[in-house]
Amino acid sequence: MRRTLERIYMALILIFMYLPIAVMIVLSFNSSKSRTVWGGFTFQWYISLFKDATILNALANTLLIALISTLAATFIGTLTCVAMYRMRRPGRAFFTGVSNIPMINADIVTGISLMLLFRALHFDQGFATVLLAHITFNIPYVLLNVWPKMKSLSPSTYEAALDLGASPFLAFRKAVLPELAPSIVAGALMAFTMSIDDFIITYFTKGAGFDTLSTMIYAQVKRGVHPQIYALSTLLFAAVVTVLILSGRVRKRSGAPGKKADYQKRRVKNRILACTAAAAAGAIVVLGLLYGGVFSDAGNKVYVYNAGDYIDPSVITQFEEETGIEVVYDEFDSNELMYAKLAQDDSAYDVICPSDYMISRLIQEDLIQPLDFDAMPDATQYIGSQYYKSAQAFDPGNRYAVPYCWGTVGILYNTKMVDEPVTSWDILWDPKYSGQILMQDSIRDCLMVALKKDGFSANSTDEAQVAQAAQDLIDQRPLVQAYVIDQARDKMIGNEAAMAVIYSGEAIYCARENPDLAYVVPDEGSNVWIDAWCVTKDAKNAQNAQTWINFMCRPDIALKNFEYITYSTPNIAAQEIIEDEQIRNSPIAFPDQSVLDRCETFVYLGEKADRMYSNYWKKIKSGS
Amino acid sequence: MKKELIRLDHVSKSYDGQMILDDLSLVIHENEFVTLLGPSGCGKTTTLRIIGGFEKPDSGKVIFDGEDITDLAPNKRQLNTVFQKYALFTHMDVADNIAFGLKIKNKPQSYIDDKIRYALKLVNLEGFENRMPESLSGGQQQRIAIARAIVNEPKVLLLDEPLGALDLKMRQDMQYELIRLKNELGITFIYVTHDQEEALTMSDHIIVMNQGYIQQEGSPEDIYNEPENAFVADFIGDSNLMRATFLRDGMVRILDTDFPCVDKGFGDMKPVDVVIRPEDVELVPRGEGQMPGTVSHVIFKGVHYELEVMAGGFEWLVHTTKYFEVGTEVDIRVDPFNIQVMNRPASEDEEAISPEDEPSAIQA
Repeated sequence: MRRTLERIYMALILIFMYLPIAVMIVLSFNSSKSRTVWGGFTFQWYISLFKDATILNALANTLLIALISTLAATFIGTLTCVAMYRMRRPGRAFFTGVSNIPMINADIVTGISLMLLFRALHFDQGFATVLLAHITFNIPYVLLNVWPKMKSLSPSTYEAALDLGASPFLAFRKAVLPELAPSIVAGALMAFTMSIDDFIITYFTKGAGFDTLSTMIYAQVKRGVHPQIYALSTLLFAAVVTVLILSGRVRKRSGAPGKKADYQKRRVKNRILACTAAAAAGAIVVLGLLYGGVFSDAGNKVYVYNAGDYIDPSVITQFEEETGIEVVYDEFDSNELMYAKLAQDDSAYDVICPSDYMISRLIQEDLIQPLDFDAMPDATQYIGSQYYKSAQAFDPGNRYAVPYCWGTVGILYNTKMVDEPVTSWDILWDPKYSGQILMQDSIRDCLMVALKKDGFSANSTDEAQVAQAAQDLIDQRPLVQAYVIDQARDKMIGNEAAMAVIYSGEAIYCARENPDLAYVVPDEGSNVWIDAWCVTKDAKNAQNAQTWINFMCRPDIALKNFEYITYSTPNIAAQEIIEDEQIRNSPIAFPDQSVLDRCETFVYLGEKADRMYSNYWKKIKSGS
Repeated sequence: MKKELIRLDHVSKSYDGQMILDDLSLVIHENEFVTLLGPSGCGKTTTLRIIGGFEKPDSGKVIFDGEDITDLAPNKRQLNTVFQKYALFTHMDVADNIAFGLKIKNKPQSYIDDKIRYALKLVNLEGFENRMPESLSGGQQQRIAIARAIVNEPKVLLLDEPLGALDLKMRQDMQYELIRLKNELGITFIYVTHDQEEALTMSDHIIVMNQGYIQQEGSPEDIYNEPENAFVADFIGDSNLMRATFLRDGMVRILDTDFPCVDKGFGDMKPVDVVIRPEDVELVPRGEGQMPGTVSHVIFKGVHYELEVMAGGFEWLVHTTKYFEVGTEVDIRVDPFNIQVMNRPASEDEEAISPEDEPSAIQA
């Protein structure tokens, strides 16, 4: 009985630790993009992973940074240990304490202070700054591993070597270093892992156009993580497990006292291994420095700041080839984060792609500049006038923004579970569907639903109206299964909920995966959102920025992007050349004018109203 | 007279304001087994480290074979050290450990191989070339450490409490081993220990140190039989150490009883210290000795019995081969030449333990 319990307990712990990874590995072979539906076994994500330049580039950056920072930190850290060893006790204690602080310190503090330092020193943020930051935070991990071993070493080992005629350097290399070697390797491994693992510090110290895996994946979160990332994570996990098994074996073998021949063979092998490792590391460092150097040269460039996974990567290459302008491409995961970067330094990027309400804020705060439409004939020629009309709401006179993607917000419902016609937001308050309703976990979208239901504007700043809408949402809470962002997709595809408030772009995708799903924009009206290209106020390459925008408006390019992103394109010419008839005529992707007419775009409500919305949002989320 | 090899000339050394060696001078001759003996903290190890080059004296000179080597780095000195905890290189096998110094001096491989064989034979560990240090016993490791040092043909071998970590039996074996080695190699051994028995067994010359000063130096017999002060008497062997009054030449008053002695020249009615070795105290039937006493304690020690006898208000330590029951009434008798009379030191500095601190018999 007791043994069974023990076994069950152990099994539970194993499941607890490894189930998440198992799920990820399974999903990496799932041919469906959904996270809940099994679409059959496939290697396609692994294949596309190795074709995806963005991911490979981020992977290369990650490994390069990890390797160089590990080597540097290991070297510096080990020397520090030697110095500490020679210190008197009080100095030692002080130094050990001081060197521990960065490890315990919150990453966010380290990240921000490094960023401030780099700014103060006028370093261009990019490869070099991230590398320096990683070296900085890695040194304590090396100390953590090497110092205890160093401290436990009897000084007589070193003295014995001196006594036998070795110079101090030789004595250190031949007598002390081999004793430290296992801890140095352990420290280096830990530093390497920490470097690969780091997000926060990298995020604050990186600059435009430079991404590691963690920052790249994070930027994609808005639209859901690519299955390629599951494949990559699976490969990384497999690599870690392999390294662990190998190192375990090596340790086991070297632990047993062997015969002379064995021993010598092993020694030769070790030496070859060490030489190869050193050569490889050296080559990578040199390559890395060359590679890092690329970022510092100024040329004919354009700095693009777009939402995560919001362009067909081949379009960037095509732009570079056709125009000769080098693109430094960077991604953000939310308008707010983009705003924060811009507010700090709006000259860091030339061309950005914010959403409607954010554009009105950027105009109000004078962070973007009026465009020269004469220089962008395609923007005038191919973008539908109705979209410019909608854009007037946040860009009066259409002076600042060229629409890029757009969509509506509506209700996606499962026709097998909902058999009445869906025409009103009211259905979301129908107790029949208790526990079957998914709401968007976002202030404006959520309140929009209630405001529209009550017949108010989605941009209402009237406290009474907002209060009423908030009360409606609080009353609705018991019926809601969950407030979600991109999980809505998976849950709807997997028949886990009857209806969801969702973006039209997601709805297209879901309807394709699950034919029982239908999308409707309720009669009371809804939000039509538009993401549009803008040029920053202090853009260094404003000319190139407009060339970029014009390029994005070319029908063939717009089509490519549409096919990649699947969000509706405002490009009339592109709409006409969509091959798939079903999509070309899809009412979800391209609703008729009457739908658009009853929708409004979000505008920036101003700080005061923003605060009011936040306060009500807190009440809604806490249910009081 | 043997040739002088090492001379320390007025050497002083202090750490963090604490004086470890104070104006120490000593001479070590060629082909001598010299032991620096004293309790921990007496400065013996510091002295050895100064000779080895691991410490620099604050003042004074180290002369080696007529040359001033005070500032010479340890790796340039013609001597080798055997460390207290062996300090073998754990990542190398025995052969590589022994070859370490020779490889640094770029000796040819055949020479090195011969030397390894020779050294292993010398320390009775033939065939151990490919063993790793961890797989050896403490005694074996210590022998490897010695082999590693002597293949470099040093003129002097420094040994810093090399037997301290070994068990008793191993320690005794190694003592003989070391004497044999020293004789076969014909070099100078400078040996540091706090174990007086080790010192007495192995040394040609013993330097007794305490609190940074040399207390006494001489042959083991001199040191044991004629300690010059209470510290040495107390430190070397078991002894009955007492305060006494030197009445006149040939007569000393111990515990209110007058004992004839052979010492002269301490003056009349002068306070002195006396030491009487426990094996020199004779127990005779009541009425036949010099002082009455009662046996208060008996322990069987194998070769002899160790007794405590209460006499004249003092607990006498006595070694005898005859058995006495506790409570037996006896008399104590001491032959005049077995009473060692010593000057009582005037200053605190010169000794660590004075009879006033411990009125009863002090055992080392």
